[in-house]
Amino acid sequence: MGLKKEEKYIYKYEACWSDGNNPLLCLNTGDWRTSRPVINNEICNGCGICMTFCPPQCISIKDDYFLINLGFCKGCGICAKECPKKAITMTQEGDYADDCKI
Amino acid sequence: MAEKLNKLPKVTEYFCDEDQFSPGNACCPGCIMELNLRLVSKIMGKDSILLGTPGCSAPTIHGQNDRAWHKHSYYACVMTGVASSATGLARYYKKAGIDATIVCHTGDGCAQDIGIQTISGAAERNENIIYICYDNEGYMNTGVQRSSATPYGAATSTTPVGLKSIGKTTNSKNMPMIMAMHDIPYVATATLSHLEDYAKKLTKAKEMVKQGFVYLHVFCPCTVGWKVKPDSSITVCRAAVQSNYFPLWEVGNGAYRITQPVAKPKPINEMLKLIGKFNHLKDQEISVLQQQSDNRFSILQALCSIRA
Ligand SMILES: Cc1ncc(C[n+]2csc(CCOP(=O)(O)OP(=O)(O)O)c2C)c(N)n1
Ligand code: SF4
Repeated sequence: MGLKKEEKYIYKYEACWSDGNNPLLCLNTGDWRTSRPVINNEICNGCGICMTFCPPQCISIKDDYFLINLGFCKGCGICAKECPKKAITMTQEGDYADDCKI
Repeated sequence: MAEKLNKLPKVTEYFCDEDQFSPGNACCPGCIMELNLRLVSKIMGKDSILLGTPGCSAPTIHGQNDRAWHKHSYYACVMTGVASSATGLARYYKKAGIDATIVCHTGDGCAQDIGIQTISGAAERNENIIYICYDNEGYMNTGVQRSSATPYGAATSTTPVGLKSIGKTTNSKNMPMIMAMHDIPYVATATLSHLEDYAKKLTKAKEMVKQGFVYLHVFCPCTVGWKVKPDSSITVCRAAVQSNYFPLWEVGNGAYRITQPVAKPKPINEMLKLIGKFNHLKDQEISVLQQQSDNRFSILQALCSIRA
């Protein structure tokens, strides 16, 4: 109603308290993690069970291997528990402290 | 490795769309209600219309502040009226000649307590709605209060354990059976340890909703409220199926069928020991739970034998 004809209405994603003008909401849930899943590709037989059970669905296929998107992995450990080959181990995030630029 | 990757789990064959949810959303780590939402999104397709109520799925379905967490069309309802709001939507789309799948996604508190009269009404009117209830056996979002889905002996914030108190003293409602008794086209129970079984039921629901009301009851442990380790929620689902505490069954047009029969059911204790909210139970209370679960299962078996 209030829109002028030439004004372009950009419809993105509508939410309860939004007019559909805004992009999708997304948290960096990777920040919540205290331990990270590490896949041993030697043992992995490619069954994809980890991928289907991952609650945030952040495991994808990349060049014949499974890749975990650590930006969103919350570190719940379901993949490591469900893997029939025990190819995934949960490793303390602290062990990766050297990776961070402090 | 490349050819091995071709053997991905069968559930992936049922996916017909991309996951419409944002990759980082606010569910607790290990909460499989999030997996449930993403699965529903992938199988129902991007054009399905979601309805939600306040509860743990609300932050993810409703959006927050001024943004959305997903790309579906959705309707944020009050807890008392989700099925009647869905009725309005379903009828509108029917009149307008638009083919739309209406999916309500609410917790057990809404489905079994606060909103049961509108669900029962919509089921009796046989509206074209899919109703998915994720059963986390309590009001989780408001701080783990007991609901009518909370089982006997469970510790919650309103049925605490003490010197004299053993947790909840009454049994839970058998909601899927209540819905089955409405004689609607399709009722099924599902859980997230048996993804292929669940995917089949979702696909069937999409088909059966053309005939009328569809109700799916999904067993969905809450890691926080049940005091389950975040990595164990799928294990708990599997244990619930294997002990016949939560049998997987469906009823389509009057024919009952157990979809995942268990050859040698395990004692219910195998499941209870994984769950912190049952840790205080003694043998006597465990046998009460076992008895209740056996009774329910024998009713189900009797129904299955009618048209076998
Ligand atoms: C009519 C009404 N009563 C109470 C509330 C408060 N309330 C908000 S969320 C919630 C819990 C919902 O529980 P459930 O539907 O089981 O979903 P869960 O939190 O377990 O995912 C309650 C009681 C409300 N919003 N509306
Ligand atoms: S409180 Fe329970 S049901 Fe709610 S998001 Fe957390 S784990 Fe899931």
